[in-house]
Amino acid sequence: MIKPYTLILGLALGCLLTACGSDTSSTQADASSFPSKPIRIVIPFGPGGRADVTMRLAGEPLGESLGQRLIMENRPGAGGVAATTTMLNADADGYTLIVLTNGTSIAETLFTDLPYQVTEDLVPITAVAWFDLVLMANPDAGYNTLQELLAARGDNLRIATINPGSTQNLTAELFTSLASVNATIIPYRTTPDVLGALLRGEVDLAIDAYTALKGAIDNNQAKALAVTGEVRNPAMPEVPTALESGIENFVVTGWNALYAKAGTDPAIIDRLHDEVEAVLATQDIRDRFMELGVEARATSPEDMQARLMADIDKWRQVIEAAGIDTL
Amino acid sequence: METLQLLALGFEQALTPQALLFCFVGVSLGTFIGVLPGIGSLTTIALCLPLTFHLEPLLGLIMLAGIFYGAQYGSSTASILLNVPGSAPAAITCLDGYPLARQGRAGVALFITTITSFIGGSFAIILLIFFAPVLAKFAISFSAADYFSIMILALTAASTLSVGSPVKGLAMVTLGLLMGLVGTDINSGQFRFTFGLPALSDGINLVALAMGLFGVAEILNNLASGKAPEPLKEKISFKQMLPTRDDLKAMRFSCLRGSAIGSFIGMLPGTGPTIATFMAYAGEKRLSRHPEKFGQGAIEGISAPEAANNASVQAAFIPTLTLGVPGDAIMAVMLGGLLIHGITPGPQLVTTDAALFWGVVASFWIGNVILLILNLPMIGLWVWLLRIPYHFLFPAVLFLICIGVYSVNNNSVDVLLTLGFGIMGFFMNRFGFPSAPLLLGFVLGPLIEENFRRALVLSDSRLSTFIERPVSLVFLLLTCALLIYSFSRRASAADESDTRVNP
Repeated sequence: MIKPYTLILGLALGCLLTACGSDTSSTQADASSFPSKPIRIVIPFGPGGRADVTMRLAGEPLGESLGQRLIMENRPGAGGVAATTTMLNADADGYTLIVLTNGTSIAETLFTDLPYQVTEDLVPITAVAWFDLVLMANPDAGYNTLQELLAARGDNLRIATINPGSTQNLTAELFTSLASVNATIIPYRTTPDVLGALLRGEVDLAIDAYTALKGAIDNNQAKALAVTGEVRNPAMPEVPTALESGIENFVVTGWNALYAKAGTDPAIIDRLHDEVEAVLATQDIRDRFMELGVEARATSPEDMQARLMADIDKWRQVIEAAGIDTL
Repeated sequence: METLQLLALGFEQALTPQALLFCFVGVSLGTFIGVLPGIGSLTTIALCLPLTFHLEPLLGLIMLAGIFYGAQYGSSTASILLNVPGSAPAAITCLDGYPLARQGRAGVALFITTITSFIGGSFAIILLIFFAPVLAKFAISFSAADYFSIMILALTAASTLSVGSPVKGLAMVTLGLLMGLVGTDINSGQFRFTFGLPALSDGINLVALAMGLFGVAEILNNLASGKAPEPLKEKISFKQMLPTRDDLKAMRFSCLRGSAIGSFIGMLPGTGPTIATFMAYAGEKRLSRHPEKFGQGAIEGISAPEAANNASVQAAFIPTLTLGVPGDAIMAVMLGGLLIHGITPGPQLVTTDAALFWGVVASFWIGNVILLILNLPMIGLWVWLLRIPYHFLFPAVLFLICIGVYSVNNNSVDVLLTLGFGIMGFFMNRFGFPSAPLLLGFVLGPLIEENFRRALVLSDSRLSTFIERPVSLVFLLLTCALLIYSFSRRASAADESDTRVNP
């Protein structure tokens, strides 16, 4: 016979454990002794992605220089809403930080009833990583440049990207409008699916970040026609930018940045900024980021905020021009 | 011959004391988290990923992969003993594993699942060794229309998953399909059936659904019936754990068929082991001369899905390693681990990093042997677990389910969902609605819809694309054949025994 109370005990234990995740014990934020306990970093993606891996890579030396462990907490889902909500439930003491990405600036427009305002409720510490996207074709199709592809397929171009509302997908929208081509953008669930579509030759062009497609490019499964950065990607200097290829104004640079909750002691923000900046300047981290096709570069909090604001504007225009329904 | 030489090189790499150690650590950890309900290999692998930054790439990959396939060995243990699956793919093992345990044959069931896991894993490893590049090219050539037709076949086969009323089974498949639509529509980016809840915007968590319907519901059932199943009193001798000759006969071909189905599904990116195990079970039941035995403790009902489970996870390495196209999130994390070391999986990996590629492949098989050695003696221990009074065991299990579900997305809403699905599953059991078809519908629904729509976009909205592509055509024909076969069989079965009552 099972007694109901034993079941309730189990439930209670379960709830207790869940509650531990959102620890609200108020440690007095004191800039001079900061940090006196481990720092939690909320990552709005599942493990293994670019934002996750770069943060984990930087997290180790950062933990050493801060003298406290950094705990990465993956809170994927809902375009970062889940992660940001978690973040905002914590205290503004610098012990809970969040990784924001380019996707954050898209979400500002895409989601009409966000329970927060990133520009008000969060404060920047620094940028962490920068990356461009790559426009790729199937090498068997025989196109050597973007112009060649557009000349041949410009009236009926098929572009594969991940889901609508992603940086990749909106970049494709931006591309089709700036290059004035007639294109069908076909959404896939994951980056490997996008790669698969390209390998099968069912699309003419795939747009995604270099990180995920490095293998395919190195192995000559995919041919990089152009990169979306302002300048060429140091990992493959032979590939021209889209600007050079004649697509005027077509520049997309993705970023990952570290943010804290608004109201955090400025001295703590400064301390974190300086430590992150120092870690990102080390050769080891620069090299490891470069392996992932990502540039390690810190910014001042002000520059980061300006960048976020500019990107919110940029993507709002793209979303409106493409006629994408907001959520 | 060259392959064998390279394989020898691989074994040289994988048999160093260090490699053996990391392999052992990986598979042991994997088995352990596999046994625990809900805690999946993805969480564990993500936690271990930073450790591998400092390891040699080979050692890191050996360990991470060990966790992954090790977890599949453990995941059926709780299905058999407690009717609580260790992971979503193992939910199907509950159907026949648990009845076996209630008949006092838990030891036999665990023995069978360990052996078939080994056979399934080895089967896929052999494919990986000899045919990886060819198979990977074949798998990647499957387009949206092909996926659609394969999934339609899977869905049709699934109709056998239900015991009892076919109408109720159909209702549950449909409900599963509908539940699979919850979340963001991949084509338009719009939210569907999320009721304004951000937690639902990425869909219902598969682990929450499986743990709720199978785990929590089972505990509620016991609670409601007022008496828990009696803990095992008598000691089980080693001899009683050994399968009988009939058991082995039942296992023999079913585990090979399971291995084949698992390998096929496993190497298709984006499918996953849950579809593999459910397909294997459905296939066995279709083929069996005694389909009525399924659900009552049929050996085929555990051997086929377990072989499929392990075959599918090993086969998932085929496209990952040879094309650099990871089939699921776990594979993507492992690829990330390699990228950090500057290694890029792809067609050239086999030649440029031969030692790494063959070392990893060899370690798979070594890992499977370790798992076999590790798991067989553990059977006694697991069976002993059944002697723990249930009023201690069930709260502990419930607690573990909560942790496991939470660990998937670090989301407490998922824990509440699990409890909700538990209550739903409890009432479904009460009124004879089967859970397995619901779970399969849930897994297949999004794949079917997504690929159907994508196939139409790619073909400029021509429905004929489904019969123009050879792979798609073959699977659609198979589906038709299956339908005709089952209707004719149902008709003849009805003639023979129109007096028989549904259980």
